[in-house]
Amino acid sequence: MSHITLTAKAVSRSIDCRALLPLALQGKTVAEIAAIKLAANLSVADVFEVSVDEAVAALQLTFKNTTCAHQYIGFGMTSGQINVAGDAGDFLGAQLQNGVLICTGNAGARAGDRMRRGMLLIEGNAGDYCASDMMAGTLGVLGTTGAYLGYGMKRGTLLLQHTPAAQATWVDCGFHKLPFLNILYKSFKRLDSRFAQINSQRVQRWAGDMGGLGKAEILVIQP
Amino acid sequence: MVINGVEIDDTFAEAFNMRGTRILITAQNLRWAYNAANAMTGFATSVIGCGVEAGIERALSEDETPDGRPGLSVLMFAMGSKVLMQQLETRMGQCILTCPTAAAFAGIESEDMISLGKHLRFFGDGYQVSKQIPDANGKLKRYWRIPVMDGEFLTEETTGMVRAIGGGNFLVLGASQAQVLTACEAAIDAMRKLPNVIMPFPGGVVRSGSKVGSKYPKMFASTNDAFCPTLKGVVKSELDPRVESVMEIVVNGLTFEDIAVSMKAGIEAACGLGKDNGILRVSAGNYGGKLGQHHFKLRPILSGEVSA
Repeated sequence: MSHITLTAKAVSRSIDCRALLPLALQGKTVAEIAAIKLAANLSVADVFEVSVDEAVAALQLTFKNTTCAHQYIGFGMTSGQINVAGDAGDFLGAQLQNGVLICTGNAGARAGDRMRRGMLLIEGNAGDYCASDMMAGTLGVLGTTGAYLGYGMKRGTLLLQHTPAAQATWVDCGFHKLPFLNILYKSFKRLDSRFAQINSQRVQRWAGDMGGLGKAEILVIQP
Repeated sequence: MVINGVEIDDTFAEAFNMRGTRILITAQNLRWAYNAANAMTGFATSVIGCGVEAGIERALSEDETPDGRPGLSVLMFAMGSKVLMQQLETRMGQCILTCPTAAAFAGIESEDMISLGKHLRFFGDGYQVSKQIPDANGKLKRYWRIPVMDGEFLTEETTGMVRAIGGGNFLVLGASQAQVLTACEAAIDAMRKLPNVIMPFPGGVVRSGSKVGSKYPKMFASTNDAFCPTLKGVVKSELDPRVESVMEIVVNGLTFEDIAVSMKAGIEAACGLGKDNGILRVSAGNYGGKLGQHHFKLRPILSGEVSA
């Protein structure tokens, strides 16, 4: 196990980060990671400074200084933890299958698209189509969310701190105190994230997307 | 061996292999946790008639429970894994699901995991929600949220099942019913302070110790006549003329050592009242060593030698 840190260099193009997953990079040297191709004429070394800390016993990958140009971060991740110290582009945590992804900045469109399991925590704002077609798992957003929130969302939990704009295919289930949130918040306490500070179990619950399966929920934390 | 004037018989308690599990029950407050746990452990005194032996192990503080609410840990024992699973599911459905604000969680880790809410979730009629949440060690655990009229019933999917021992026991023999009961109450108070054991009978004490078989063909157990004070002179009694009452404390535990330690604590507390308060002898129930795999020899246990 190790903690790999990728510090972004200034870029003028979008970067497809889907090859950069904690499990895929495990056991690789700095040189090996630096040589990974991200596009035809682009390797990791061109856009990231790489460092590896073997002393850390966790499967962790940290992105630093990222911007909205860095897309597909955590795409299809199956284990470990990704920390994004900065903003993220579109498709953050899309098709996430397991593990934890924490983004301290803002995320682009389609964050958590088709997410299947695991936890995606966005401390900033999320763009349009957040949690689109999400199948399960937990997606938290402390900032605001864009248009078409939870579009086609099947199952899973969208935990928000700000009430989103009303949407036709989501139904209001009222205000509730949900005991499972205590367990969820306990799991946040292990994380170095602003999510660890949430403690209110009282939420407004919305169920949807009624245009589809309708078994997903949006929980808006109440003060 | 004599403790505080109380004679300790040179005999042993005979105990059996069982399968055990632990469940953590939480609720909005301890009153409702007790309501749920009392119902769940009700009619669970002896496998002879109840299928399962169960009891409240101890109260848990908010820091010790998965959902940060007050709770209780409950131990449940059965002769086989199939019965244990059956009884756990039935009691979960009738006693925990029904109890306002109650939730249930796994209380023990093992390779054998049995259903806690795995099947009960179907009560949700399709509206049940599964959540996988990492515990303090980062290990993913699956919970079920089942919509019920007071909000949501929260339960963990499975709990562990372990090998355990049932039937550890000792008998308190005294000069009067009241004195023996007082000694047994002291014993139970001492034993309840210890982990990993339960005393499944009402208040922890049983007055109807039994022997194997009966004159009636359909009965496979009947009153332990040798220890019935009113039958002195009628049967081959184990009691001398001074003994007017006998009560038994039965203890089930997760390991041999757990039972031995609790028996020691219980016997010492009972003997604390001493001969002056009518406590005359301490004995134990066995079937000649032919039925159970575990023998709890009173004298070695009280000497601090804990071994099979």
